[in-house]
Amino acid sequence: MRYSTRRLSPLTAILVSLVLLMAACNGDSDTDDTDDDNGGSAQSTDDTVGVGEVFISGSSTVEPISSLVADMLSDVNSDIEVTVDGPGTGDGFKLFCEGEADISDASRQIKASEKEACLENGINNIIELKVGIDGIAVMTGSDNTAVDCLTFEHLFDLIGPNGQGTKTWVEASSDLPDETLTIFGPGEESGTFDSFVEIVLEGLAEEAGVETTTRTDYNPSENDNVILRGIQSSTTSLGWLGFAFAVNAQDVKLLSIDGGEGCIAPTPETIASNEYPISRDLWIYVNADKAAANPAVAAYVDFYTTEGLAEATSEVGYVELTPEDQAQTQSRWQNRTTIG
Amino acid sequence: MISRILDSKTKNTISRAVEKRSLAQDRRSAYKSTFFRVILQAALLLTMLILLVLLVSVFLNGTDHILSRLGDFLNGTMRSRSVDEKLGVHQALYGSLWIVIIVAVCAFPLGIGAAIYLEEYAPENRFTAFIEVNINNLAGVPSVVYGLLGLALLVNGQIFGLDRITGGRSTLSAGLTLAVLVLPIVVITASEAIKAVPNSLREAAYGVGATKWEVIRTQVLPYAAPGVLTGTLLSVSRAVGETAPLILVGAVSGRLGPNPGLFEMSALTDKFTALPLVITSWTQQSGRDVGFTAAAAAAIVVLLVVVLVVNSVAIGLRNRFEKKRG
Repeated sequence: MRYSTRRLSPLTAILVSLVLLMAACNGDSDTDDTDDDNGGSAQSTDDTVGVGEVFISGSSTVEPISSLVADMLSDVNSDIEVTVDGPGTGDGFKLFCEGEADISDASRQIKASEKEACLENGINNIIELKVGIDGIAVMTGSDNTAVDCLTFEHLFDLIGPNGQGTKTWVEASSDLPDETLTIFGPGEESGTFDSFVEIVLEGLAEEAGVETTTRTDYNPSENDNVILRGIQSSTTSLGWLGFAFAVNAQDVKLLSIDGGEGCIAPTPETIASNEYPISRDLWIYVNADKAAANPAVAAYVDFYTTEGLAEATSEVGYVELTPEDQAQTQSRWQNRTTIG
Repeated sequence: MISRILDSKTKNTISRAVEKRSLAQDRRSAYKSTFFRVILQAALLLTMLILLVLLVSVFLNGTDHILSRLGDFLNGTMRSRSVDEKLGVHQALYGSLWIVIIVAVCAFPLGIGAAIYLEEYAPENRFTAFIEVNINNLAGVPSVVYGLLGLALLVNGQIFGLDRITGGRSTLSAGLTLAVLVLPIVVITASEAIKAVPNSLREAAYGVGATKWEVIRTQVLPYAAPGVLTGTLLSVSRAVGETAPLILVGAVSGRLGPNPGLFEMSALTDKFTALPLVITSWTQQSGRDVGFTAAAAAAIVVLLVVVLVVNSVAIGLRNRFEKKRG
């Protein structure tokens, strides 16, 4: 009996020390609190950018850019704590209009109904900033002379759920060549997969009354290089990838896409001008009142519109804005131009 | 009379059957039992094999972070690039640790108290039975539903304005939500353990003049303690691994700004994340940045170690009580 209690005493000791440690740390954090308060009051009188928190919510497509900008900023100024979450554009605007989020990430522009919800909560000074373009390239082998341009309908027939089981291009869509069809693309966990489904397949799938997803019998990969090698391996392959990655690839042919206004080849110019149909603009919406009240928000957006636009957008795989668009975003932010 | 005839009849058939059993039959039944044992062993072996493959592959994937930069990994934060030196699970550890502490502090006393009342004090009537049935049902409710409850009560403060205390989307809200989630499990396992206490023990204590409370404190609870601890252990492990309710209570899965010290209690009302969420998030991000696969695997190893530590503390306590009871 004595042996057993002695053997188990370390356990009790651990528990007791844990409780003591907690109590001790609690005391510490109390002093931390007062420090923070001092910092806060100093901040409001000073012009210097001090300690502060920024909360961003919204599109999971934009989230990587905002996160990377936050990482880059934290290397320069570790006093600004930026939290970025990506529940989706709609959810992001909801939090933004409730006044909880300082900035909303969005892969589309704000809707009239969302603007009204913001107004109802007294959030009427919103700054809209374009931060990048999400473009997707559709590709085939470089020696494929039979196909140059595909319409959204073709893509839906080839890659949509109705294409399930088809082994040749003609089998999927009657006006395409009679060649073997092998498809490579990002897997379901990828943002490029989501973007492709949303931009190309969603409308047609709803019309056809089928599920808004791709066929399941293609070759998915989480690694862009694996997808690229797959497309290179066969003349009549078909695949899709983020444009920023695809444009530098060798031995593949980027297909033109007809979104209803004729065939447009993907180039940085056609994507920046929104002529190329499989692309969309990426935005951030800043609550101007919060940016005025919280220097951390202002410092973050300052950084976003300068270093962020220059480095982060392309680093995470999106198309950079043209210099003119970058300048426009910067001037909109500097003049705090709000949307009507 | 009739029963005696039947009795002798059955006796006769049995003895005849036993006598009739030949050597061949004996051998056949021996084969049968060997065959059955092999099947059972195969079942065990397969289970262990699956577990082993999982553990080994997770550990191998995570070696980059676990072996070469464990300290940085444990101190690091959520970052957007997997090659970042500051990538790590510190914030998630903070969230998971405090969720466990809050669950232990809130759910255990309440749940064990409710179980003692139900088993020792409550009158045996329809109302008590009704409550017991409901607690059993609550234990089977999907965890998302508890997440919705937490969202309405603790995050949005829809009825009592509790969000002013919890700070909305915070570790405190998450811990309280999970405490409610495991409460029925604690009540059920604790009352089963109390039910299993032999009645003779209570009667003997009453016999020497103990009051009801003395009986419960000195006889029932020490005897039931190992069983009660097993239940609480199960519920803590469940709380550590839950994801769905945390998403609803607003756990951050992208990038979390604040990185408080492990025992800094003032951060309990701040935005939070937890290990299972970080694992989910990094697995998803591996589509964009393949290096996150290794980070997610390393985070899984950390989660396993946390669960193992919690379990061994509970097992240690249980053994201690069992020895006392001995």
